Amino acid sequence: MRTILAATAIAACLGGGTLLRAQAPAAAPRTNPLVGDPAAEQAGMGMFRSRCADCHGMDARGVRGPDLTQVWASGRTDDGLFRTVRRGIPGTEMPASNARTTDDEIWKVLAYLRTLAAPTAVDAPAGDVASGERVFRAQCAGCHRVSGRGGRLGPDLSRIGAARARGALVRRIRGAEEDWIDGYEPVTITLKSGQVIRGVKKNADLFSVQVLDNRERIQGYIRDEVREVQERRVSAMPAFDVTRLSERDLNDLLSYLATLKGFDPRVQ
Amino acid sequence: MRLTLPRLVTLAALCSVVSLSAQQPPAAPVPGPVSNQDILKGLDTDGANWLTFGGNYENHRFSPLTQITPENVGRLQPQWTFQTNTLGAFETTTLVRDNVLYVTGPQNVAWAVDARSGRQIWRYRRELPDGLTACCGLVNRGFAALGDKLFMVTLDAHLLALDMKTGAIAWDAVLENYRNGYAATLAPIVVKDKVIVGVAGGEFGIRGFIDAYDAQSGKRAWRFYTIPGQGEAGNSTWSGESWKVGGTGVWVTGAYDPEQNLLFYGTGNPGPDYHSASREGDNLYSCSLVVLDADTGTLKWHYQFTPHDVHDYDATEVPILGDLTINGQLRKTVMFANRNGFYYTLDRTNGRLLVAKPFVQTTWAKQIDPQGRPMLEPGHTPDEKGETTCPDLTGGTNFWPPSFDPRTKMFFVTAREACATFYAYKPEYVPGQRFTGGAQQVVNTRDVRPYGAIRAIDPATGERKWEYVTPTPSRAGILTTATNLLMTGDGEGNFLVLDSRTGKLLWRYQMGSALHGTSPVTYMLDGRQHVLIPAGTSLTAWALPAEAR
Repeated sequence: MRTILAATAIAACLGGGTLLRAQAPAAAPRTNPLVGDPAAEQAGMGMFRSRCADCHGMDARGVRGPDLTQVWASGRTDDGLFRTVRRGIPGTEMPASNARTTDDEIWKVLAYLRTLAAPTAVDAPAGDVASGERVFRAQCAGCHRVSGRGGRLGPDLSRIGAARARGALVRRIRGAEEDWIDGYEPVTITLKSGQVIRGVKKNADLFSVQVLDNRERIQGYIRDEVREVQERRVSAMPAFDVTRLSERDLNDLLSYLATLKGFDPRVQ
Repeated sequence: MRLTLPRLVTLAALCSVVSLSAQQPPAAPVPGPVSNQDILKGLDTDGANWLTFGGNYENHRFSPLTQITPENVGRLQPQWTFQTNTLGAFETTTLVRDNVLYVTGPQNVAWAVDARSGRQIWRYRRELPDGLTACCGLVNRGFAALGDKLFMVTLDAHLLALDMKTGAIAWDAVLENYRNGYAATLAPIVVKDKVIVGVAGGEFGIRGFIDAYDAQSGKRAWRFYTIPGQGEAGNSTWSGESWKVGGTGVWVTGAYDPEQNLLFYGTGNPGPDYHSASREGDNLYSCSLVVLDADTGTLKWHYQFTPHDVHDYDATEVPILGDLTINGQLRKTVMFANRNGFYYTLDRTNGRLLVAKPFVQTTWAKQIDPQGRPMLEPGHTPDEKGETTCPDLTGGTNFWPPSFDPRTKMFFVTAREACATFYAYKPEYVPGQRFTGGAQQVVNTRDVRPYGAIRAIDPATGERKWEYVTPTPSRAGILTTATNLLMTGDGEGNFLVLDSRTGKLLWRYQMGSALHGTSPVTYMLDGRQHVLIPAGTSLTAWALPAEAR
């Protein structure tokens, strides 16, 4: 244990040292000055594809390296991401950028990534936010949670306004996109007793399956000990066409979702 | 008694021994020196040792031990678990000698571990510099041993000799400058008085090589560049100056044929990985099997699996040597399941191709012509728009070791079924920076998703005999035994024991992390057969209880 603590302390000191050294120039702005600049985004795309995509994937959704389309949604900041690209992550494959890489180039790559991740200026909300929240409560909150309120079968949407562009949300809500997210695929388990469990699949392997059932109980099942496991590689999210959600309600809903940028302690 | 000076010295020495032993815990097992003869024996029925990467020079990963059987394997019990307490996962093959385990881990930490208790005897930790360029994980694949020394390569491209009893550095040789993209991760092998290693960095514009170092002094004995220099045969297979930064690393251990005194090593991808126009030509000796004289490093022959590769199909898989009857004739062969999706059997005396057959879905080529060259399908050169090819970048298999059962003449491989869209861009070479010229996107849709399979292949024909499918691809190596056990893992952390005759699942255990790039090893300890499983950051020893043996 002492060894671990000592190693941790040394690592902390080393990390701190790196931080001090790297902060010395302090010239880099704390927010990306090139966000929304089409030329910068274009240049950033080229750099991303040649230098980063090998590990993070052409669509930045992650291969060996993590998914970069979710980083702002998960709370990272421009400043923090800039530092990660500049310094790398010691002890991992993420390298520091070389001395010849300019701050401007890093901001260009981040500006490009932002186009994959976050709403842009053209996403200006046009609907009624209060009405949109009512729509959300009526239609979505059974499965989706915002700031600790709502269901858990679908992804938590507390930061969706920072995470998804309006167009992507429309496609998902209207069911135009055949996509799924691991952890949210519908699963039906028939026990030997005949009892049927429905829910979403949180994890699985050859021998077991882990679910959040429709009553929001998390539970694992051994495949040999149940009668049947039905799995489908689709999203459990239903399609809301205009008969279920009018254009006006959709517009209001999107306006409300655009305001969700993080956990809001005021929501009771 | 008169106390003369020599007697005083003796007494003082004795006192210090007595006082030391009073303070020390009970003596740890004492490792004996490793001889060339010990290594040549491979995994014999005595079974107390595992002294070289593949178990034997031929890389069979086949143990003659018989205590654990299909009938009793389900009664295996954990004996102890060793944790690395470091970042990163094991890819190592543990060496076993006289009740002591010699283990390399991630971040170039290494240990001697008491095989009876799982307790550390010593620990070596390398102080790694900033700015490492190791492509694909800060990993290490194992030690080699000779005499009282262990040999380990490092992520900053050195070769170290460590004292087996203390873990102290006996010598430290520089392979190349890590700042220019060189790294090293493979397990060395010892041949006679030399330590054989290779260098990684195929994604960083290196010029790859295989080196031999004198095991006593650390002095370099020879170097074989995997890319011929100017004026040498093969150099013209690289357009312009591209040979200077053509990659072709060697990051997986090869085989050694004592009878011919030849080394067999698979070589890595040419660089930049995906951008064809940057390096027109066959790009020798990338994606090849190179066969070298073990004393001099002279190239005897080569076979290029993937001429002018543009999909990162390194031939850095583990070659296996074995004798097979093919069309009624006994042949000395080298067997090779390649990342490009083809399984190959070559005559290891002359390089003649005997068998070549896809063992997974391949779309870039469907067959190999009689001259041994792949017959390319059109439309599989990556560009800015992207083209889809099977297998994907990770390949039909990869560096995780296969196994060969010399009794049944069966070859076992962990296969992957996956396709990817490959993109290419013209890259600029900057020393020490990634130089791949593109990327891939794995095809993963509702209808098409990657999966894995453990496959048994008849190496005399390339035919599949059985398969055990896993829902996601596995990166585990394979160990087989004389009791028809096949030990491996799936992609979800399950340790799997299959019947090597049929592929039937006999036993499983969820290790909590997948076996990655390596297989278990097995050995006898105090009359009990042990199985040592590296998974994630843990190493767990298993054996049967007395009543089950």
